[in-house]
Amino acid sequence: MTKTIGKLGGQLGLLIMLLSGCSATTTIDEYRPTDQPIVLSGDEKVVILGRRDAGHYETDREFIECVSDEVTSGGIKVLPEQQFIDAIYPWFEPRTAPKGLPRLKRLIQQNNVKAKIDSLSIRYLVWLDGSTETTGKGGSMSCAIGPGGGGCFGFAQWDKLSVYEATVWDLDELVEKGKLRVDSEGTSYLIGVVAPIPLLTPVKNDACGSLGNQLKLFFSIK
Amino acid sequence: MKKIGGLILIVLLAGCSSSASVKITSSFPSVLSEPKPIDASILIEDSFATYVGTPNKNTTIDIGASQVNLLNSAFSGLFDNVDFVTSLDQVTAETDLIITPSVIEVQLSTPSDNYLNVFEVWIKYNLDIQAKDGALITNWFMPAYGKTPDSFMADKEKAIELATIIALRDAGAKLMLDFYRIPAINDWLSRQNINQESQSL
Repeated sequence: MTKTIGKLGGQLGLLIMLLSGCSATTTIDEYRPTDQPIVLSGDEKVVILGRRDAGHYETDREFIECVSDEVTSGGIKVLPEQQFIDAIYPWFEPRTAPKGLPRLKRLIQQNNVKAKIDSLSIRYLVWLDGSTETTGKGGSMSCAIGPGGGGCFGFAQWDKLSVYEATVWDLDELVEKGKLRVDSEGTSYLIGVVAPIPLLTPVKNDACGSLGNQLKLFFSIK
Repeated sequence: MKKIGGLILIVLLAGCSSSASVKITSSFPSVLSEPKPIDASILIEDSFATYVGTPNKNTTIDIGASQVNLLNSAFSGLFDNVDFVTSLDQVTAETDLIITPSVIEVQLSTPSDNYLNVFEVWIKYNLDIQAKDGALITNWFMPAYGKTPDSFMADKEKAIELATIIALRDAGAKLMLDFYRIPAINDWLSRQNINQESQSL
């Protein structure tokens, strides 16, 4: 009896150790000139856009949708990214999107652009810029299949790092309302004991959840 | 049994084929712009309306109809009155500018070419811009570029289609942003005494 409990305890300990290795470490830095939330009134909406002007990476749409869903869950009205980009075409394409406030100010001076933004009731624009990358890999795994069956043996691990920055622009006052940066990192494992067992660390999901939750705190609804 | 095995092998090998034939059918949004008081005729030659790019021997990209659709929207954002014509005989006397677009080349870069996890497409356009008397104002080279976010698990044809759509959208953006910045067009405009305030982002 004692021997069985000891064996079970050992297995449980191993499982806990493995699962604890699958949690991401996430850090959030926030800058805003005031600790008061931005008050959204009536039909005012927020649009969350990904930066896509860098050559070697682009902020993926899946991440933008994930953050948008998080922010929407707080009761904040978020206009879908593609709907905004199409409505204001061609001024938010990778080639033409304003990279800074001076360019935004010049764009808003065009009466039809200002009118379109007003008609869509968009008050705040959130730029998301960043990516998730694999920073290191280790181990090896080999799989074989034969007439009598198949299986995988070995161990592989990889580290992922998500770095995203959010910048909030006020489209009415044409000022920057704040910045957020999230860094999330973690290691995933693949253990091959006949069947490959993945122990994945949801680095990007953690970054999305943390950034979305923090963005929700930026805004309050009147 | 052997026949079934052979069939499975053929199906698997066909899946590994590297040829791709893409036809772009998507529509493009209207442009948000303040057009200038200019009457323009856009001469769409048959070779442009039915253009099929062959960036390599295994790939064809049919962009003819979609690029006409895109230019229809983009030129309407640049000029107050736009006529799309198929021959010079159809150009009216009121026309200020006659523009003939053509495709010089379509280029494609796949992950096996660029060692990046993306598909890239370049479309190189030439706009032959003439005054109403037929005098050449300029030949404007207009490159457009599009790439996929990444190619992880992406079907090759779908990836090329996505990169091409992004390149076509980029062509529209480039046209809107840079047309009135072409020095020869700027000179022509100043001679016509046409307001040059807009389109100066």
